[in-house]
Amino acid sequence: MLMTRRICCVLLLVDALFGFDSFADDGTLLPAATSVRDAIDHYVQRAIAEHGVPAVGYASDETILRRTTLDLAGRIPTKKEQEWYAALTATQRREQLVDRLLNLPDAAYHLANEIDSHLLSNSPHNGEFREYLLWATTEKRPWDQMFRDMLLAKPAEGPLKGATQFLRTRIREVDDLTNDTAILFLGINVSCAKCHDHPLVEDWKQDHFYGMKAFFSRTYQTKKNVVAEKFFDEVKFKTTEGEDKLASFMFLTGDVVPDATPEFSDQVRKELDEKIRKAEREDDSEAPVPDFSPRLQLVDIALQEDSAAFFAKNIVNRIWARMLGRGLVSPLDQMHSGNPASHPELLDWLARDLKQHGYDLNRLVRGVALCEAYARDSEWTSTDEPPGEEYFAVARTRPLTPRQLSLSLQIAAASPDKWPDTDARDQWIQTRESLENQTNGWVREFEQPKEGFQVAVDEALFFSNNARIHDDVLRDSGDRLIGHLKGIEDDDELLTALWRGVLSRGPVDDEREAAVAWLQRDTEERVENIRQLSWTLLAGPEFRFNH
Amino acid sequence: MSEPAEFQHRRRIQRDLSRRGFLTTTAAGATAMAADMGQINALQSAAVTQQLKQQGTRVILLWLAGGASQFETWDPKPGAKTGGPFSAIPTSANGVHISELLPELARRMQHTAIIRSLNTKVADHGGGASLMETGRLRDPGLDFPDLGAVVARELGRLDSSVPDYVSLYTSTEGRRKGTSGILGARYAPMFLSDNMIPLNLAQLDAVSTVDHKDRAALRDVFAKQFSKHRNNAAVDSHMSAYQRVRGLMASEQLFNVENEPADVRARYGPTQFGEQCLIARRLCEAGVPFVKVARAWWDSHGQNFETHQELCADLDHSMSVLLDDLNERGLLENTLVLTLGEFGRTPRINASLGRDHFANAWSCSLSGYGVRGGVAYGKTDAEGNTVVDGEASSADLFATVLQALGIDHEHEYMVGSRPIPMADFGASPIDEVLA
Amino acid sequence: MDETDTPADTAAEQAVVSSVKISRSFALPGAVFCVTEGDEQSQLYFGSSDFGIYRIDSDAEKPAPEPVSDSRHESYVTGLVRSGDTLVSGSYDGSLIWWDAASGDVRHRVASAHEKWIRRLAISPDGSTVASVGDDMKTRVWNAKTADAIATWGGYELTTPHGYPSMLYAVAFSPDGKWLATGNRTGKVVIRDGATGRVEATLEAPVMYTWDPKARRHSIGGIRSLAFSSDSQLLAVGGMGLVGNIDHLGGASRIEVFDWQSGKQRYEIEDTKLKGLVEQLKFGPDDEWLVAAGGDNGGFVSVYDGAEGTLLAQEKAPMHVFDFQLSDDGSKLRAVGFERASVVEIA
Repeated sequence: MLMTRRICCVLLLVDALFGFDSFADDGTLLPAATSVRDAIDHYVQRAIAEHGVPAVGYASDETILRRTTLDLAGRIPTKKEQEWYAALTATQRREQLVDRLLNLPDAAYHLANEIDSHLLSNSPHNGEFREYLLWATTEKRPWDQMFRDMLLAKPAEGPLKGATQFLRTRIREVDDLTNDTAILFLGINVSCAKCHDHPLVEDWKQDHFYGMKAFFSRTYQTKKNVVAEKFFDEVKFKTTEGEDKLASFMFLTGDVVPDATPEFSDQVRKELDEKIRKAEREDDSEAPVPDFSPRLQLVDIALQEDSAAFFAKNIVNRIWARMLGRGLVSPLDQMHSGNPASHPELLDWLARDLKQHGYDLNRLVRGVALCEAYARDSEWTSTDEPPGEEYFAVARTRPLTPRQLSLSLQIAAASPDKWPDTDARDQWIQTRESLENQTNGWVREFEQPKEGFQVAVDEALFFSNNARIHDDVLRDSGDRLIGHLKGIEDDDELLTALWRGVLSRGPVDDEREAAVAWLQRDTEERVENIRQLSWTLLAGPEFRFNH
Repeated sequence: MSEPAEFQHRRRIQRDLSRRGFLTTTAAGATAMAADMGQINALQSAAVTQQLKQQGTRVILLWLAGGASQFETWDPKPGAKTGGPFSAIPTSANGVHISELLPELARRMQHTAIIRSLNTKVADHGGGASLMETGRLRDPGLDFPDLGAVVARELGRLDSSVPDYVSLYTSTEGRRKGTSGILGARYAPMFLSDNMIPLNLAQLDAVSTVDHKDRAALRDVFAKQFSKHRNNAAVDSHMSAYQRVRGLMASEQLFNVENEPADVRARYGPTQFGEQCLIARRLCEAGVPFVKVARAWWDSHGQNFETHQELCADLDHSMSVLLDDLNERGLLENTLVLTLGEFGRTPRINASLGRDHFANAWSCSLSGYGVRGGVAYGKTDAEGNTVVDGEASSADLFATVLQALGIDHEHEYMVGSRPIPMADFGASPIDEVLA
Repeated sequence: MDETDTPADTAAEQAVVSSVKISRSFALPGAVFCVTEGDEQSQLYFGSSDFGIYRIDSDAEKPAPEPVSDSRHESYVTGLVRSGDTLVSGSYDGSLIWWDAASGDVRHRVASAHEKWIRRLAISPDGSTVASVGDDMKTRVWNAKTADAIATWGGYELTTPHGYPSMLYAVAFSPDGKWLATGNRTGKVVIRDGATGRVEATLEAPVMYTWDPKARRHSIGGIRSLAFSSDSQLLAVGGMGLVGNIDHLGGASRIEVFDWQSGKQRYEIEDTKLKGLVEQLKFGPDDEWLVAAGGDNGGFVSVYDGAEGTLLAQEKAPMHVFDFQLSDDGSKLRAVGFERASVVEIA
C-alpha cells in the first residue's frame, strides 16, 4: 500500500524532461524586444485575469523603498536614502531607485552574498570563494562565464582562484559534485534517480544520474590543491534488473557526448596512473592534463543553444524566487513537466531574454524589481481566502538572510546621521566594505532561510539575553541610535526618528500611543525607556522580515 | 470628572500589557499556557498521541559518539579470535550475557532489550551519525529531521515552557548539533555550549526583570499588528519563538546540578557523563520529551581495550544509576532510554590493539518505556563478522523506537506534495523488543 | 680508561652500539605479549592472545610454535616467566598457572590471583619469587615453586584522578634481588623492598599519561615497562609521550631514567622518529646502553646510551613489540609482538 504512494520527487525524469529542455520559441512568446518588466506584467496579469484572482494594490512607497533596497543592496535604506526617495516625483520613481541601487557597490556585495549562500551553503565563510564572487559581481561577469570559471576550476592567480572552491569543497565525493551541480546550476535533483523505481522506464532515470556522474568521475585534486582530471575512468552501475551497465556522458536532455578518450596501451596507462598518483601525493609533482576533458564537455553541452534551457531557466527561477518569495517552478530543484511552472511562457521568455543578453543577471534583477507583482502589498485584509501563491497577486513576506539582517542591524543601531550619502561614492565604498567586515561576526548567529524556514527559539533568546545586543546594538553612546535618540526631547520627534531608523517608516497612531506611554514609564530613566522601546522594534517581525 | 486623555491612554496600554498575563511566570517555570492542551498540532494522529502527551513520554538518547565496540559491550565473543581479552557475564535476563565491562547494567537487564543485528553499512562518522540519527541515508534535496526533532514534534507541547529537545555533549568530538530539517527550527535542539548551560538562557544583569517582561509584552503588541494580515508560517514562528523565551529561561535551573542533593550527585559519580545523565533525568522530570547525551569518544583505533575499560565503566555506572533513579521516581515507565552510536567496531584487532570502524554487524540497546526488557534480538556469527539472524537497518531501528513510543512510523510529513514517512520506506519495527 | 689503551682501542670502546638490525622474522599465533627463554637462549616460551603458552626455537630454519600444554588460560596471556623447569603465566583471566615446562602439566593454578586483569609478571633474579601486577592495582608476590602467596601490596589508587579505572602495567626486580618496582597508568612508580614490601621510593613520570579533557574525555598511555640498571642504582621507566589525538598511539616513545634512590631524573628520551609505547626495556651489559622496544601500529627497537640517553641506533621492527629477551652478551634480542617475532642483532 505504501509502495504506490511512493510518488517522491522524481517520477518523471523521463518523459518529464520534455517541457524543460528547450525554449518554446514557436512564435507564441512575447517578442524579444519587450522589456523584462513588461513581459512579466503581461504574463502575471494574464493569469490573474484568466482565473479571476483578486490581487492587492501597491505597497506604500516606504515599503517599496525598503523592500527594493533589501533585495538589491542587501540592507535597509539609510535616513538619507529615505529622504531622497520621498522627495522624488511619483513618475519614474521606482526606475530611479532601482538604477541607483544597481550602481552602488552594495549591489555587487549583495549579489555575491546571495550566490555564495546558494552555491556554498555547506561551507559558509569561505574567504577565497567570496573574494572570487565579489570580484565577479563587481565586474558584472556573465553567469555563463561564472559557470565556466567554477566548473572548469583552472588553476589561477588573483580573484579567479577562488572559483575553484565550488569543486574543491565537494571533490572528495563524486556524488556530491554530480548532485550539487545539477541542483544548483541546472535546477534538477538527479540524486533520486540513483535508486528509486520509475513507473515507466527504469533504465533511463539511472542513466541520467550515472550519465551526469560520468562527467565528474575523473575529477580529482592534486597534493597542491589543483583540480585535475584523469585520463580515463569508467562509471559502472547495476540496473534495477541487476544488469551491469557502463555509463555514457549523458546530459539531462538525454543527449550523449561521445567519449573521445584515446585508446591507451597498457604501458601508457600505467605511466599515466603513476603520474597521477604522484600528483595526488607529492608536493612537487605536476598533474598531466588529458586532451579530452569530460567536465569541459559538460560545460559546453550545458551552455549549448539546444540544451541551455536548464541552465538559463534555473537561474531565472532562483532569482525570481529570491525576489518574489516563490519560484515560477517550485520546489526549485524540481524542473520537470510533472511539475510545471506557474507561468511557463514567462519562464521561457525570461530564460530566452537572459540568454540573448549574455546572461546579464543585473538585467533580470532590474526587470523583476520594476514589475507590478514586485510592488504589491504583502497584507491580505479581506476575509475571503487569499489567492494561491502562484499568482503573485499578494507580495510574500520573506525572512531576511543572515547577512541582510546583520547589515540592517548595524545600520539601524547606528545614529541615523552617521551614514554618508551614497552618492559620495568613494566614501560610501569604504563604508560598505567596513559594514561587510563588521557583520562577518554577526552572520554566524543567524540561520540561512531555507524552504519552510522557522525562527528558532535560539534567536529569540539571543535577542533577549545576549550581551552583544545590549552592549553593542543598544549602546547609548553618541554614534549610536540610542545615543542619538536620547538627545531628542520631543516624544513625537523621537518616535519618528526611531521608527524611521529601524523600520524605515513613521509610526502609526496606535503605535505612537503605546510608545509614548512607554517613554513615560516612571520605573526607569528615560534613556532606559528609549533603549527598551528600541529593542521591541529591533526584536520584532517587521524588522526581521522583508515585507 | 474625566481623566486627561494621556492618562486614559496610559491605562489602556497598561490594560493591554496586563492582558499579556501569561508572561508573569512562576519561579518554577510553569506557565498557564503549558497546561493548555488546546493547541495540539493538527497533523498528529490525535487519539494516541493525546494520551501520550498526558502521560508525558520521554526519550533519553545516550549517544556513544565515535562508535562503541559491540564486542566490549552488548555482544561479547570471549574466546573467539576476534573476541578480545574480556569475558562475558550473565545478566538478570535469562540466557543473555554481556561484556564483563558492564556489570552494573548486567544486573538491570530486565529493563533492557539489546539488538545485536544492526547492519547499516555506512562506516564513516558523519555519514553513520546522520544515518542513525535520522533513520535514513542523506538526500541532497531534503533535510530529514533526526529522532529528537521527530519526538519533540510528536510528543512535545506546542507552547511548552521547557525545551522539547535538548542536546548535551561531553567533549568536542561528540559535538553534533542535530537537525530538525523539514520540521523547521521550532524543533531544533537546545544545544549546550561548552560550559554545559544552553546559551542565552540567563537574563543579563543590565536588564531588570520588569523591563525584560514588559518590553517583551510591548514587542508582542507591535508584532501582532504586523502579523494580523499576513498568513505566514515563518512570521508565526517568530512570534512563538519569543513567546517561549521566559518559560525557557526558567528552565535554566534544570541544567544546574547544584540544585540536587549531595547524595544524589554522589550517586551519579564524579564524571561529566554522570553529571549529564543527572541533568537528563532532571529535564525529563520537568517534562522535556527528548534529551540526547553524547558521550564521546569511543573511536578506539588504538588501545581499544583500555579505552573501553574507561568508557564502559563510565557508561555502566552512569546508565545504571540513571535507570535506577528514573525507576525510583516512577519515570522509567514513561521514559525510553537508548544507547546507540554511528557504528560498531571491527572484529579484527589491529597492531595498536585497536578496533576500527565497522557497520556490518553491531549492537544497540533500548530500555524502559515500550520495551520488552530482558531480550537480546538478533545474532551475529561466532567471530562477529556478519549478522546471521534478524538483520536490521537504521530505518528498522528508527521504526522500532517510534513504535515503542506509540508513534505511527508510517505517518507521513508532507514537503510540498512529497510525502516523507517518519521511518524510511520499507522500514519494519522489530516486534520482539517491543512491549 | 686504561693507560695501556691505544687511541684505536678507545675509539672502539666508544662505538658501543652502532647498529640494530633485524636478522630474521617469523609469524606467531595471535598477539604475543610475553616471552621468556629456555636453557638455550634461542629456545623461547611465549604467551599469546589465543590464551595459549607455546615454545619455539627461534634459531630453527622454519620456526614453528608448539603448544606447551593442552590446557590454556581463559583469556590473553600477558605474563610469562621461568624458574628452572617451571613456567609461571598470568592472564587477563586473573589467574596464575604454574606449568611443567616440558610436559605442559599444570602444577598449580591460582584462580583469582588478582581480582582484575593481570598485566605482567616478573621473576626475581634467583628464581625464587614471582611478582604479578594487575588492574586491581595490587602487587602480589608468590613462591615460584609452591605457588604460595607471599605478599600483597597496594600503594595505588583504583581510579585515576579523573575518576576512571586505573591500570597497573609494569613490574621489575632489581638485579641484586632487593628491590621491586611497579608502574601504573598515571605515571606513578613505587619501589619497594622486595622482602618486606616497605616502600623505599616513589617516582612520578606524569608525561606518560595523557588525559584529554576537551576532545575525547578519556586517557591513553601509562608506564608500560621498567628496568633496573645492573648495579640496581638506576631505574628506566618506559611509556609514551604526550599524545594529541588519543584515538591512536601517536606520542613519542618515551623513557625516563632515574637515580631512583635520590629521586633525581638522570635523563629523559623523547623519540619522535619511531613513536608509540615503550613496552619493554633493558640495560645492556655494564649499563653502557639501554635497549627499548615497542610500537604504535608498527614497531621499533632502539638503543640509547646508558649514561646520557643519546640515540645510538634504532630500527623499525616488523611488528609492534610487546616483550623481548636480551642475550647475556647483549648481542641478540629476541622480540615478540603482534603476530610476529623477530631476532635483532645489536652491534
